Amino acid sequence: MMPKSDAVPLRRMRPLLGTFVEIGLVERPAGTHCAERTFAAAYAAIAKVHDALSFHDPHSELTRLNASKGQPIRMSVHALRVLRLARAMTAATGGLFNCTVGGAMIARGRLPDHGGDSVLPVGDADDIEISATHACLRRPVRITVDGIAKGYAVDVAVSTLRAQGVESGWINAGGDVRAFGELVLPVLCVGQNGNAVRVELYDCSVASSEAGARADAGHDGEIIDMHSQQPVSGRWSVLSHHAWRADALTKVAALAGPAMRERLLSNLGGRCVVAEDVDSVRASAA
Amino acid sequence: MSATTGVYAAEYLAVPAAQKVLFPGADHFVAMPLMLTDAQRDEIKRLSGVRQRSASQAVWRAEQQGVLLGWFIVDEVVGKHEFITYAAALSPQGAVMGIEVLVYRETYGSQIRGETWRKQFVGKRLQEPLILGKDVENISGATLSCKNVTTGVKRLLALQQVALRP
Repeated sequence: MMPKSDAVPLRRMRPLLGTFVEIGLVERPAGTHCAERTFAAAYAAIAKVHDALSFHDPHSELTRLNASKGQPIRMSVHALRVLRLARAMTAATGGLFNCTVGGAMIARGRLPDHGGDSVLPVGDADDIEISATHACLRRPVRITVDGIAKGYAVDVAVSTLRAQGVESGWINAGGDVRAFGELVLPVLCVGQNGNAVRVELYDCSVASSEAGARADAGHDGEIIDMHSQQPVSGRWSVLSHHAWRADALTKVAALAGPAMRERLLSNLGGRCVVAEDVDSVRASAA
Repeated sequence: MSATTGVYAAEYLAVPAAQKVLFPGADHFVAMPLMLTDAQRDEIKRLSGVRQRSASQAVWRAEQQGVLLGWFIVDEVVGKHEFITYAAALSPQGAVMGIEVLVYRETYGSQIRGETWRKQFVGKRLQEPLILGKDVENISGATLSCKNVTTGVKRLLALQQVALRP
């Protein structure tokens, strides 16, 4: 079967997740209204994840957990799933990815303080207890899932598109890109000083993080090394199947250092395609 | 889209299509282009904290059988380097009903051509993966903030109060 000659992908872009989110459908669903319903469902799914897990929103599920003073908080399925993934990634990376750094980020003025008990700057994976319906903090840490939620929102939106009958397409949430179905999507991973690596996504995701003095002033582009308590600078792009994992692994790539990076990411299901640590700029095509 | 050096423009929706997307129930869009007075622009700045740079603003009344459903407004804000054109749907009560980016332009410092990208689709079989061209449109790097659209919408809500009473 040949696609029609006008089988140009149908695309939409909306401001969401603090950035611009593009959704592309390779095949046009039957009827304009059907396509609009499909886009609306995917954008709604993204907004739902964002609303549940926003650190900035004083009324989000995550903020309620952070203010819970050790009491169990009932949370939605998506919120619990992201917490499980963030906790597992925190444990698996020995804290290189660490979802309990909210206290340190508040102290550095990078995240808002919504009040509550005295705050530990950083904790570990054991501080989060998760049941089928509730989450509970064992110590007064502040959880932030900013390093994983954008990617997760992309994954949820891809599932939503598939549930709507979309076979092939992509989502680009401000550079966290996932392509699915029978589609090869080229993406340019841009480093500093004009360096760029071109990758082709086939049923795959890529995410990038930029941190340090040159990071976009409009974004909270800060990644802190918890051992030195110092922020790191540079740009990193990571490939993985799921967008949440690619998103999280950019932070691991940033903090792992050149000696450990490749092996660590490989063990965790990712591949680094841009690694520019600012003190010794390097970009390597995979 | 023609070949351009450094500036990439993705066109998502034309105005009539965006009107249908944002107001699917409307049967009529009445063009009401605004020409704001200096006093109105000052008032918009006072209410929103954002300067209304242009005296003119493209506005439509979205109507269903003569009843006002809301306002459809086309606006431009600067992204990182280039203008981003978007449409906002505002309810008569002054709530944001939806936002769609119409044209997204950015400078990437590389040559990107839309036509070759488009032609890749001709003659591909569905069972084979479609390869979206050699010229890359998707960029992964520093995340671009959408805060300029957020402040733009804030400005439009003030504009509605000042100049679009139903």
